[in-house]
Amino acid sequence: MISRFQAEIATALMTAGLGLTAVAGALEFGVGWGDAGPDAGAFPFYIGLLIIAASIGTLFQAATGRQALQSVFLDREQAKRLGAFFIPILFFVPTALLLGLYVATALYLTFVMWMQGGYRLIVSAASGLAAAVIFYIVLEIAFQVPLLKGPLEAALGIY
Amino acid sequence: MENFASLLHGFGVALTTYHVALMVVGVLLGILVGVLPGLGAPNGVSLLLPLTFTMDPVSAIILLTSMYWGALFGGSTTSILFNIPGEPSSVATTFDGYPMAKQGNAAEALTLAFLSAGFGALVGVILITVLSGWVAKFALRFSSPEYFAVYFLAFASFVGLGGTSPFKTVVSMGLGFAFAAVGMDTVSGGLRLTFGLNELLSGISFLIAVIGLFGIGELMLTMEEGLRFDGIRARVRLRDVVRTIGTMPRYWVALLRSSVIGCWMGITPGGPTAASFMSYGLAKRLSRRKEAFGKGEPEGVVAPETADHAAGSSAILPMLALGVPGSATAAVMMGGLMIWGLNPGPMLFIERPDFVWGLIASMYLGNMVAVLVVLTTIPLFASILRIPFAIIGPIIVIVCFIGAYTVAGRSFDLWLALAFGLAGYLFKKLDYPIAPLVLAMVLGDKAEDAFRQSMIMSKGSLSIFWSNGLVATLISLGLVLAFWPLLSMVLARLTRPKTTSATA
Repeated sequence: MISRFQAEIATALMTAGLGLTAVAGALEFGVGWGDAGPDAGAFPFYIGLLIIAASIGTLFQAATGRQALQSVFLDREQAKRLGAFFIPILFFVPTALLLGLYVATALYLTFVMWMQGGYRLIVSAASGLAAAVIFYIVLEIAFQVPLLKGPLEAALGIY
Repeated sequence: MENFASLLHGFGVALTTYHVALMVVGVLLGILVGVLPGLGAPNGVSLLLPLTFTMDPVSAIILLTSMYWGALFGGSTTSILFNIPGEPSSVATTFDGYPMAKQGNAAEALTLAFLSAGFGALVGVILITVLSGWVAKFALRFSSPEYFAVYFLAFASFVGLGGTSPFKTVVSMGLGFAFAAVGMDTVSGGLRLTFGLNELLSGISFLIAVIGLFGIGELMLTMEEGLRFDGIRARVRLRDVVRTIGTMPRYWVALLRSSVIGCWMGITPGGPTAASFMSYGLAKRLSRRKEAFGKGEPEGVVAPETADHAAGSSAILPMLALGVPGSATAAVMMGGLMIWGLNPGPMLFIERPDFVWGLIASMYLGNMVAVLVVLTTIPLFASILRIPFAIIGPIIVIVCFIGAYTVAGRSFDLWLALAFGLAGYLFKKLDYPIAPLVLAMVLGDKAEDAFRQSMIMSKGSLSIFWSNGLVATLISLGLVLAFWPLLSMVLARLTRPKTTSATA
């Protein structure tokens, strides 16, 4: 179980880290006054500082209001549902990069319908395939927008 | 009268078979994204935007704005029938809309919602027609310091009027600016903040951010809550529509008041969500039937719906005339304009009057088309939500990722969309506002340019922001708003004696 307090602190630290990254990145390009007005890094530098300051503000608020933030941020049941949704997506992205978006679409829809929707494998696979074909028709043929393709499309001679 | 002539010309542009067909398609797509959880107006428009790159800008903006109207209507539908707001701005509609539907008055609630939404939108568009030319003319006098002041005011009002923690608003806004800064520096032309990653050379697209933050993030939240659709079946018959139209004049006070609130919140970056809540709250407070609110009071549907749509449409005004969008969706559309090579702001009225007035005319027509389409197709769309979520959920996810890929055809964007999705989930759960981030990403380069050019003009002195009455007023107002949370705290301390500090 994660409490709201922990989540607040973790998120504020993360945003502060992003702010710090911006500051560090900006320092490379000069943050002062150059030949053509303010240097390229000046704006991101101060924005980064602002993010850090506001993140510290949030940390401070969380620390002083700790009592009120003891509520549950994520309980076991919610985490399970979230994981069931998110983990397949986590696999979807590398699959898409490896095998192309169409194949990944078919595999992902098949998997979720079969494992989580309780459909029979044959129904799930047919739906996955149908979805991929429909996306192909709408995007590549109707709108002429090419999507990422993989070895399967190459083998079939589709570009 | 000058505006009126331009508007007639605009109708000439918008009233072609092709454009009306685009409106119908846009509205239908909009209702679809509005009804589906996780897909709302901002990311619906983001997903459609890459597909319009090859279209003529006038046709493209008609398609996108029609989608916006459709999404607003779709959001209200699920609020009433399923008690699930399809859009954040239709949360307030659930308070009375769902109880009404449960009592068997679903058709009345839906008709009332659509008609008052149509009314609100109409008021917003009339406001745009009357004011836009004037605002644009006024803004022609702006140079860099004034522009920066307007941007500053827009962002300061998020902090001052946001309602959530001001620190979180600043974090969200700052991150938007930081993401916008990645890639090419528009002033010097050099690269920055790429950290040696080739993938970051061309920057981070705001479209990816919207798709991740609004789409995937929202879906994660929906999934975590465990989705359950206990929908109410409804059929809207012509008889119900006619009867409900007859009752509309009864709510004229609510309609007018809500339109005013909506227009104000739409022009200032308060946005539709704040407008609908504020309007609902006021309607409840001023009503003689206070205790009926929350139990199916028709006025509780009229008030938020009118304000929501009035804000949604009037948010287009500052986007067109000043180049400062009033809502997240307007920000996305403005980003679209820039991608099509148009520069939103006063010059647009001079350079592309056909575009501006065609768009404004299409807003009248688009909203009328939307009301008609939504009244006739609602049962169909409501049945989409009866498809099991094990099918709908993954399809929405796939649409989001395909949309992310079509933005620029880059594989790296898929990872970015995923990261933004996680961030969106965290931000939403912890009450970080997301609209400032999107606005900052779209406006980041423009705001920075305006600031740097002002600095060059003044040789580095901040006094340029107080160099004339206009810019001084804008900047001072912005400062007051930015520090409003602090000011109001200090004022509260001063006006109350010390004894209360112990109990607080």
